Amino acid sequence: MNFKDQREKFRSKAISAKEAVKEAMQKIKNDNLNIFINDFETQALKQADFIDNNFEKFKNTPLSGVPIAHKDIFCTNGLKTTCGSKMLENFVPPYDSTVIKNCNEAGSIMVAKTNMDEFAMGSSNETSYFGAVSNPWNSDLVPGGSSGGAAACVAADITSISTGTDTGGSIRQPAALCGVTGLKPTYGLVSRWGMIAFCSSMDQAGPFSRDAFGCAALLDAMASYDEKDSTCSKRVEKNFESLLTKNFGSLKIGVIKNIDSLGINTDVMQSYETSKSVLTGLGHKLKEVDFSELSSGICSYYVIAPAECSSNLSRFDGVKYGYRASNQKDISNLYMETRSEGFGDEVKKRILIGTHVLSAGFYDAYYLQAQKVRRMIKNKFESIFKDVDLIFMPTTLDQAFEKNRKDSDPNRMYKEDLLTIPANLAGLPAISFPNGFKNSLPVGGQFIGNYFSEDLLLATTHKIQEVTDWHKMTP
Amino acid sequence: MDKIELKNLLFLARINADEKEHPEIIKKLQNTFNLIDEMQDLDLSDLEPLNNPLELNNVSRKDENNNRNKKKEFLDNSPESDDDYFTVPKIIE
Repeated sequence: MNFKDQREKFRSKAISAKEAVKEAMQKIKNDNLNIFINDFETQALKQADFIDNNFEKFKNTPLSGVPIAHKDIFCTNGLKTTCGSKMLENFVPPYDSTVIKNCNEAGSIMVAKTNMDEFAMGSSNETSYFGAVSNPWNSDLVPGGSSGGAAACVAADITSISTGTDTGGSIRQPAALCGVTGLKPTYGLVSRWGMIAFCSSMDQAGPFSRDAFGCAALLDAMASYDEKDSTCSKRVEKNFESLLTKNFGSLKIGVIKNIDSLGINTDVMQSYETSKSVLTGLGHKLKEVDFSELSSGICSYYVIAPAECSSNLSRFDGVKYGYRASNQKDISNLYMETRSEGFGDEVKKRILIGTHVLSAGFYDAYYLQAQKVRRMIKNKFESIFKDVDLIFMPTTLDQAFEKNRKDSDPNRMYKEDLLTIPANLAGLPAISFPNGFKNSLPVGGQFIGNYFSEDLLLATTHKIQEVTDWHKMTP
Repeated sequence: MDKIELKNLLFLARINADEKEHPEIIKKLQNTFNLIDEMQDLDLSDLEPLNNPLELNNVSRKDENNNRNKKKEFLDNSPESDDDYFTVPKIIE
């Protein structure tokens, strides 16, 4: 069921919150795709009772009576938060993250926490300590990552909305691979307080749903100014759901010159071309823009993200919380063994890369140069947005791929993020939505907008979804 | 990257790895650096580094007690604690 229908059923009293939760819990128990790390039936039923007993208070909130699954990166008071890692397997936070608090206040009911790549580092959900997630369209394939469980949860129709985070494409890439809609907001629109940090200057939480409508309502709940996150924006809040029907008129949409030279597969390109005609059919004008710097973004990202990761993850030392290696004779061995046993291979690799690029002899060549590339990408976006309202491009190079993929190019997995990373480097908002169907699998396209243009991104996607059916297809 | 550099890096990051695994780790790191190194050819000498995408404002709040003392919960989360303290192996002999 899509989000709008689910919420309407609660508002019209056709179904109680408790019944909605029971339905979702049944689906969670039958899940054979490893989508969830923990579920919370007792707490969810209690919260549903609370919402049912306070119907008048919640009947008009953005997420009235709707079950939701949260990525297991958001701290939940008194409930396990693992971040997909052995390091936090038994971590029970003593507080709710702002995103969780906002979603609770908006009337949603958390039923489970979703599987993810360990510490959000991965593009296939295979680095999770709790095992890989399968793609609902074909269980031999990956759902994408790092928010793979969150995207699969909506695609498999277990909940109609879920939360994710996007540091280099971790909402948009799994949205594309699972055939759902996912939005990465402008950096600073959603508070990062209580969201376990990977790369603090790029991490941003955002919504998943089948369509732009669900994403708009969930973003209305998630976004708020929060003094506990010093990078949180004080922008005037907008009502994204009500702005979905705003007429933005004929838009000038930028399409990247020579994008076919970036190694995008032909099926993804075909869907992209088809979508362009949908855009012109809706009265928008396409304008070719030069973005030859785009592919340098990935170099910058794989310096800056590991650098910030090595700093952020230094807190995991086995002392105050999280995993501790047993029987260590001194503090130095305690740190070493705790981190060696508690982190998985991909996380350790990124910590090592980050430590290297920040070390005295390599700082200028790597970290400083990467920050200059970041400036170059941001400048380029700013100049493009003087000419166009939005940029349209495929979300990914490939459709969903096989688990344990062996590739002749050892960096192919990292290159999956080639088209999503630039928006993170610049802090811009971007939305991925289903824009085609090939080989019995969904394809995703994305809009990137100027700062705080989420209303435009959502409304434009909503208009497309009024005249196309790709977002309605189910596995 | 050679074995000595890797050993130093592992120590800085407080991560252990069996020496038998070192060649494989070096290979994986080198692959990533091959990807990253593609940016070295760009002449960006006229650009300022960018460390955050948005203008940052200083956030201050009143210095008031917020009654958020959760000492017990924090200590309960630690692998080992004793009374009011986190416990670790002996640091000074």
